[in-house]
Amino acid sequence: MSAITTLNPKAESARQAQALAINISAARGLAEMLKTNLGPKGTMKMLVSGAGEIKITKDGNTLLHEMQVQHPTASLIARAATAQDDITGDGTTSIVLLIGELLKQADLYISEGLHPRIVAEGFELAKKESLNVLDKLKIPLKTNPIDREILVQIARTSLRTKLTLENADLLTEIVVDALLTLHEDGKPIDLNMVEIMEMMHRTESDSRLVRGIVMDHGGRHPSMPKALKNAYILTCNVSLEYEKTEVNAGFFYKNAEERDRLVSSERKFIDDRVQKILDLKKKVCGDDKTKHFVVINQKGIDPFSLDALAKEGILALRRAKRRNMERLTLACGGEAMNSLEDLTKDCLGYAEDVYEHVLGEEKFTFVEGCKNPKSVTILLKGSTKYIMNQLKDGVRDGLRSVVNAIEDGCVIPGAGALEIVTHQALTQYKEQVKGRARLGIQAFAEALLIIPKAVAQNAGHDQQDTIVKLQHEYANSKMPVGVDVTSGEPMDPKSAGIYDNYRVKKQLIHSSTSIATNLILVDEILRAGLSSLRPGAQ
Amino acid sequence: MITAIIYLVKITITRGRINDFKNQLLEEADYFELLELRKVILRTQQNNQEVPVANLLDSNLKIYIVLKMCFFLLASVSNYLDFRPDQKRRMAMRVPKAPGFASMMKEGAKYMHGLDEAVYRNINACKELCETTSSSFGPNGLNKMVINHIEKLFVTNDAASILREIDVVHPAAKILMLASEMQEKEVGDGTNYVILFASKLLENAEDLLRMGLSQSEIIDGYLLAMSKALEILPKLELDVGIKLTKDNLNEHDALISKILQTAISSKLFGYHEFLGELVTRACLVVSNDGTHSFNVDNVRVCKILGGGLLQSSMVSGMVLKREIDSEVTKVQQAKIAVYSCPIDIQVTETKGTVLLKSADELLSFSKDEETGIESQIKAIHDSGINVIVSGGKIGKLFLYYIYLVLVHFTFSILGEMALHFLNKYQIMAVRLMSKFDLRRVAKTIDAVVLPKLRTPTHEEIGYCDNIYLDEIGDTSIVVFKHQKSTISTIILRGSTEQILDDCERALDDAVNNFKALTKEQALLPGGGAAEIELAQQLTTYAQTCPGIEQYAIKRYAETFDCIPKILAENSGCKSTEILAKLYVGHQDNKNLGFLIGSNQAITKERTTQPIDITCETSDMKLNALYDLYITKKWALLFATKAACTVLSVDEIICAKPAGGPKPKENKGWDNDD
Repeated sequence: MSAITTLNPKAESARQAQALAINISAARGLAEMLKTNLGPKGTMKMLVSGAGEIKITKDGNTLLHEMQVQHPTASLIARAATAQDDITGDGTTSIVLLIGELLKQADLYISEGLHPRIVAEGFELAKKESLNVLDKLKIPLKTNPIDREILVQIARTSLRTKLTLENADLLTEIVVDALLTLHEDGKPIDLNMVEIMEMMHRTESDSRLVRGIVMDHGGRHPSMPKALKNAYILTCNVSLEYEKTEVNAGFFYKNAEERDRLVSSERKFIDDRVQKILDLKKKVCGDDKTKHFVVINQKGIDPFSLDALAKEGILALRRAKRRNMERLTLACGGEAMNSLEDLTKDCLGYAEDVYEHVLGEEKFTFVEGCKNPKSVTILLKGSTKYIMNQLKDGVRDGLRSVVNAIEDGCVIPGAGALEIVTHQALTQYKEQVKGRARLGIQAFAEALLIIPKAVAQNAGHDQQDTIVKLQHEYANSKMPVGVDVTSGEPMDPKSAGIYDNYRVKKQLIHSSTSIATNLILVDEILRAGLSSLRPGAQ
Repeated sequence: MITAIIYLVKITITRGRINDFKNQLLEEADYFELLELRKVILRTQQNNQEVPVANLLDSNLKIYIVLKMCFFLLASVSNYLDFRPDQKRRMAMRVPKAPGFASMMKEGAKYMHGLDEAVYRNINACKELCETTSSSFGPNGLNKMVINHIEKLFVTNDAASILREIDVVHPAAKILMLASEMQEKEVGDGTNYVILFASKLLENAEDLLRMGLSQSEIIDGYLLAMSKALEILPKLELDVGIKLTKDNLNEHDALISKILQTAISSKLFGYHEFLGELVTRACLVVSNDGTHSFNVDNVRVCKILGGGLLQSSMVSGMVLKREIDSEVTKVQQAKIAVYSCPIDIQVTETKGTVLLKSADELLSFSKDEETGIESQIKAIHDSGINVIVSGGKIGKLFLYYIYLVLVHFTFSILGEMALHFLNKYQIMAVRLMSKFDLRRVAKTIDAVVLPKLRTPTHEEIGYCDNIYLDEIGDTSIVVFKHQKSTISTIILRGSTEQILDDCERALDDAVNNFKALTKEQALLPGGGAAEIELAQQLTTYAQTCPGIEQYAIKRYAETFDCIPKILAENSGCKSTEILAKLYVGHQDNKNLGFLIGSNQAITKERTTQPIDITCETSDMKLNALYDLYITKKWALLFATKAACTVLSVDEIICAKPAGGPKPKENKGWDNDD
């Protein structure tokens, strides 16, 4: 009986060997579950939410979030994976696998009587050494101009592990082009400036990059133009509809004429604003029939104003999303106006093509053909909700991986090459360490191999066979070697164009080691209270 | 049960300390939801018996004794009351004891993985879905009676509606359903085809899996076969002697009518010729509007209960099930003003109060009001308008003047006063309830919808040949008949609501087919002829593939058999015989298909079902049974993708189904204009 139960009879506890067994089995269970997802040949999992909605994914982060896990250790690991996703956007499956494997290896030694503390020390040493190895493997990125090819390769590596081959290759180009459009030397890339718009339409292969903005609403007046070429765009945040006064107001009148006057004066305020827009349109477009005018308003536009605007051939969009306002000015120039005083031509943006696309009941407005856009939209198409979600998650990770590469200024050879090299390095390093800590290093080195193992296994190859081949090849060539998923043979990740992010691997080694260390050092799990509700508990 | 207990005992022992075996067992029992075991333990407790676990450690024999005792107790348990309050089950995390992934999940969540648990089950669910819909496929398909969650009755053989109303929950079946929904959105026809083809693909995949192929190999093979099939498909195009293009659709109404008949005959066999011509006429009216896009919404269907299907007719213009507010009920050569606002006294947005100080003021106020209205209506009348359409109420007084002056349509409220004036000026006033109807009317007569009561300019006035109130059965309808209208309406008659609904769905499919035709004009032979040809060519192609995908491609080719097979089965023919005939026939005639036909269709003159319905193999080209290329193309694409998605899943995690009603979907909902 644990000591805590004498202090609090309602508490539940698990101690020492049992506590460790719980942690290890949870970590391994979770790792086992996610293992099949890793790598380009990993399988998909189907998640069905409480409302019956379907999600099909192999993205570790999505899975961990929605997997209905309720287990203290498992959710601890899931949180580490979420942190990994927040920081780097990739490597969530790897982190779970690595933690699971570290604990498994540690368990071997602990069950033989090694104190967990010693194992933890070994892990710590091994971590430092691995980070050294990682730094040595860096492949610097050419800047100025940025090497597009290598960015395509890194995006492809990331996307292929998340999506089907076909979709991944399609999105790779889109993702890289989107970011290269935004990229300016010396400035950090703001990923919020890449809008991801979904359209449930046709198939995935119709997805494309729109150098401009796509909004998911359209003109609200039936006689507004549906497609405009050569358009000036006014981005504003001004209410064009009658708004009730804050205070309680009322009108008193005594005849119909007075009332009519009140009716028109009530509207005058709004009509004046509309008139200002109309004036500006006349000034900018003149009588030139080839020039057009578009108003995109964050606030509302009422039917009367819409009518007035429609009459002048202006396309007006109301209630645009706030984030789109910023993007619009970045994409097509001009300023977001908060008042309609002092409107000049300089406040306007420009786009070659503005058109509306109707899908059933949903309308989409495309603003395309901007000069030098600094905000772009990735238009994802797909036939069903779950495909859209899959693509969206994939694109997000792809974008992150490219940005990471640009910010790191370097990449790491992928396909398990890092793990093979580090394993070798750690085995040598072990010899220099005295005492039992070297067993911890040994465990760490073995655990690292889980990544190439899982990749090989998911592709249908024998894991031991592959690992042995890889190690042999590495020993001969002294060059980083990775797994070729189609053949199961060793190959050079550089020539195959498979790269991983530096920061992903760095974060991976850091956090998996610390979580694993924490978990093996736990010797008691307690939970206080509330057990009295159960008739069986004492 | 036995294995579970043995397992429990084992893990408890391996955990070392068993000083609290009973509690431990309780924990485990909770995790594995072994209610019986819980019962046993609680029972022993109630009887003040201690489970003898003190020195169990190394003795297998004693484990055996414990187990024995457990069983004994199990057998002796006669009643067990579970007092645990419900919220207990939803309690926060507990110190867990059992290993394995399943124990980490929340209460009520399900986890399925592997071939047996996930893949085969998914395939079975899809098969069952297919069994439901397959008997509705084709002209001789049977109807289903579906009662949905709000107890509305549907009698239909339209797969899209059946699926929508039966609320599919199984995740895999839902994927097929989503695919067919997509087909509905993309083409508007061929939904059943998607379901059938996808589930037959899965059925064949099951055989392959049992043969030992892996899922990814099957998927690869299927995708390969699909791209090959899509490559072959255009080559099967039927040469009908006329080159249809986007622009000459109007000149070949006979051919188009034939094409649309295929869609209708699969829903309402027998009436297909009559309805086909009706729809063709309606569609051609709409497609004349000069723009290149054809909007399905512009072919309206007005269902009026009573009469027979053969009394249905087509009107070029709008037909609304409304009454006319004004006294004028018939106007020819109408000039029309359309308003989205009520035809009534204008009011301020802010609350207004009339401040009157004397009786005189009161008198003059009403008078003012009246003159105001009269002058407005008069102005409208003077501009030559004789009909007003309003989206709102028409004031009675306005109507009175309108009566004197003209006819007037508004969308909102026509106030009493206004009505009075409208009548006075001899204007016809029509009030519409929906803003969409208002827009359609405006489109029919080419008018501009005015948001405010004012005299329209010359361009804003609409024109219509003939507007009149009519009565069909006991339903009064307002007809806007206009030769140059870009909206056409089919007035459907039928004896029950279910028949009308079913007809509407058939017409809907036909109209969608017409839309598809405006995009892509290629035709394929119908009646399974294209499928047999595809099957044959794909089989030949499979033989050239060296890898293991050959098996999958072969199966893919075989899957095409299911279409003529189901057609034949639903017609009561021997499907195997028909298939054999078709395969032989395809050696020299690639347009050979399964024909369900009759030499005489139902027409206005011949109102009974023809006696000799024939079911046989025949040349599709001679019998003018065409399918659209575009429908087949998307159907194959969606079906294959859906099947591959179902196959690619090997693990399913289901959350506990959430309670409560489903969230309401308010797509495109907007109430302020």
